[in-house]
Amino acid sequence: MTKASSQAVAEGEKGAEPGGLRLWRGHDGRLWGRATASDDARSVRVCRLFPWSQPSEYVSLRDAEDEELALVHRPEDLDATSREALEVSLAEAGFVMQIESIDAVEEEIEIRTFSVQTSQGPRSFQTERDEWPQPLAGGGLLIRDVAGDLYAVPDPDTLDARSRKLLWVFID
Amino acid sequence: MSAAASFDTDRKIIERYTDQPAWLPARVRAGIEEDFAGDPVQLYALADLDASLNLAETWVALGPNRIALARDEDDAHPVVRSFPRTSIREVRLEPGLSCSTLCFLGDPDEPALARVRFTHRQRRAMENIQFVVEQQLDGRGVEPRDADDVYADAVAAPVRDAQALVASNDMAVIWRLLSYLQPYRGQVAFGMVSAAMLTLLSLVPPVLSGWIIDNVVNPVQQGSLPIDEGLRRAWWGVGAIAGAYALRQACAWARLRWMAVLGENVARDLRTELYEHLQGLSLSFFSRKKTGSLITRVSSDTDRLWEFLALGVVDVSLSVIQLVGLSAVLITIDWKMGLVMTLPVPVLCWVTFQQGERMNRIFLRAWRKWSRVTDILSDTIPGMRIVKAFNQEEREKQRFDARNRDVTDEFNALHRVWTTFWPILMLFVRGMVVLVWVLAVPRVLGDSPAAVTLSSGDFVTFLLLMTMFIAPIDIIGQMARIMNRATSSAHRIFEVLDTQPQVVDQGDPVRLEPVQGRVEFRDVTFGYDGVRQVVRGISFVVSPGEVIGLVGPSGGGKTTVTNLIARFYDVTGGQVLIDGVDVRDLDTGHTRRQLGMVLQDPYLFHGSVVENIRYGKSDASLEEVIEAATAANAHDFLCKLPNGYDTIVGERGHTLSGGERQRISIARAILHDPRILILDEATSSVDTETEYKIQEALDRLVADRTVFAIAHRLSTLRRADRIFVVDEGRLAEHGTHQELLAIEGGTYRRLCELQQELTGSRDAARPKLTPIEGATT
Repeated sequence: MTKASSQAVAEGEKGAEPGGLRLWRGHDGRLWGRATASDDARSVRVCRLFPWSQPSEYVSLRDAEDEELALVHRPEDLDATSREALEVSLAEAGFVMQIESIDAVEEEIEIRTFSVQTSQGPRSFQTERDEWPQPLAGGGLLIRDVAGDLYAVPDPDTLDARSRKLLWVFID
Repeated sequence: MSAAASFDTDRKIIERYTDQPAWLPARVRAGIEEDFAGDPVQLYALADLDASLNLAETWVALGPNRIALARDEDDAHPVVRSFPRTSIREVRLEPGLSCSTLCFLGDPDEPALARVRFTHRQRRAMENIQFVVEQQLDGRGVEPRDADDVYADAVAAPVRDAQALVASNDMAVIWRLLSYLQPYRGQVAFGMVSAAMLTLLSLVPPVLSGWIIDNVVNPVQQGSLPIDEGLRRAWWGVGAIAGAYALRQACAWARLRWMAVLGENVARDLRTELYEHLQGLSLSFFSRKKTGSLITRVSSDTDRLWEFLALGVVDVSLSVIQLVGLSAVLITIDWKMGLVMTLPVPVLCWVTFQQGERMNRIFLRAWRKWSRVTDILSDTIPGMRIVKAFNQEEREKQRFDARNRDVTDEFNALHRVWTTFWPILMLFVRGMVVLVWVLAVPRVLGDSPAAVTLSSGDFVTFLLLMTMFIAPIDIIGQMARIMNRATSSAHRIFEVLDTQPQVVDQGDPVRLEPVQGRVEFRDVTFGYDGVRQVVRGISFVVSPGEVIGLVGPSGGGKTTVTNLIARFYDVTGGQVLIDGVDVRDLDTGHTRRQLGMVLQDPYLFHGSVVENIRYGKSDASLEEVIEAATAANAHDFLCKLPNGYDTIVGERGHTLSGGERQRISIARAILHDPRILILDEATSSVDTETEYKIQEALDRLVADRTVFAIAHRLSTLRRADRIFVVDEGRLAEHGTHQELLAIEGGTYRRLCELQQELTGSRDAARPKLTPIEGATT
């Protein structure tokens, strides 16, 4: 066991129940876990299997070698410490900017520029002309820009009239 | 494009398209360099998300000895926190949907040295920092090129790769485009004069009609002009109208013919210039741009410019003149009625423009839905076997039907809009005509002859001129769209024309006649970007006629080595020499004529087999072609084809199997007779029997040439004199097969063992077939 993991195990042992999956946030700020009490602690990253259709279920925990430590069906089934640690990581891994209003949509030669206000602040981004916003299962809209960043419009109907007008082209 | 021009382009892209600085702000840089005790910032990136995942501006800067995190705060000294590079034990990138985290980890018992969060837009710049730190941890030093340049390149890349730069001034682009008319100025002048005459002659029939009424019809009816004289004048007038119409049509013909031919000539000139320029550009340009985008520039964009030059330039300018002229004439005839007609014109132009914008939006929506229909087609037609195998025909029919109905609804909405707009617009114009009538009737009739203030002839002239208002309003309404389309296309074309090849011959280059085939690498380093080196300090000497096998893991740098020999790219450090001369001093075209390539995915051009074999030597005799095909083991299968060597292979040779295409490409290389030959995985992805035939053909091809053969299947390297193992951009091992096998724990030995294991397990897994009694084969 490395020095890092011994330290991380010590963190995880606080309030740990023997046998089950344990997760905790290490001193280094990363998510650590072990599948059973006898396993070595490993730093893991979270991978949502259904980020849009079932965002709060089915989370794969993968280590540095991309091996699956565990598949969490429902995070709420975990103990409080593990759930809290997992939720912080899920928030980061699942983060996408939320569009609150649209200032302008400009068509250019091969790209389309959106100027928007997001929950995170104002942002301009570009999509390819043929990269249409994708409808989400819950009725929202997801836009992917040329760099790969994602922008969600959770409920287009709640946008202001001008934003809805600009978005009209892209929604059914 | 030169490095300075490229940086300038990237900076403009960042300024125009993103909300972030195009370089590290001077104040922040000064603060960081103060913290670095005067050391310069070598590399930097922007962390645009804070710990709460809100948009923020924290700079991560790399110095020779330290890494700093800095942010500028209003009216205060920048806040800088730094730590030594030597304190980093690990750097880890944790990717997310839109937020990635870069962790700099130090001592295991300590908190992370830093965790920075950023969106994908910053990812390339952050990965550059991660790469340099990882290299340092591996004991390798990296000297990045100019920090501003690397940052701008990384941030601008997604937009730059997605489209042409549109940052330059639109009018400058239009003027540059019009300069292509210079060689045809005689034709332009003729076309413009024809168009001007056309406009003027259009005014003649209405004016003459009014004159006939006032000077012939009315006087004859009132008895003040004898009928014979009236008839004489009338026939002259009608003849003049007929002449004006005939002359007008002649001008229309001349204008259309001249300008259409002129536009076509300019489009041809642009296509030729563009294609010739593309041929000279370096491979790095083609790896950046999508093939479809380049094809569109040579085809559709030049076609759009034809439309603009042939019709747009003249139509738009003359429409403006026509509207101004008509307004002046109408106001001159009668200012009150003239104002009734002319005052609404700006409104009509604006309404037409707005209508165009609205139509664009509706069309865009319909286009989006249309792409959903074509998505199904491009999914299901190539995958029809799967659709049928899973019995999903009904589901696919329903999916298509739903989308087809959806797109039809959109197009119907589009038709509803334009079919409503034009009748309403025309109704408005007719309303103006009616208003003119309302104003004119009392003045034409009058209570008494003295009260008649408008002659019936002037009124008729007025009515006829009014009908000429609609066409120019329509054209002016579309002017913005026409100009926008033309500048867009021109931008895309000029972007290519302004790109300079990165591989350029020196003045008075050396010609090796003939090339002997001695290849030397002297401490060669190379990177596709300014940071990552894919070849690191490789040195070797290969004698003429030697066969070198290049092996190693994927991405290790094997293909890059061959690309540097062919001078598809220039080294960033060291030298590549052929026959003792630096390839940068050689005549590249002349050297490449003595260099051949057989690639993993052999590329055949649309055309006959014989044309493809002759590609490198167009004057080869048919006997030479057959000889080359025979040596390449292609002759026998070509004889089985109904059209023999005249068989058209289709686009990229898709009508032939992979092995057949490969043997034709070997025949092409044999006929080309190169002194240096590069074989890039030439026998991969073919069956054993075909591999044998190809290998046999290759054995003939490699004789007496210097050969660099990249191979994953080590069995194909049996003829290699020496084997170079290229791993992580370095020449990890080199020697003969036996020498390399003797290296305990060596990469080559490990690869051989792995392949033997794989072959053994495949043989073991192969089912043992028991002959069935009585069965015949």
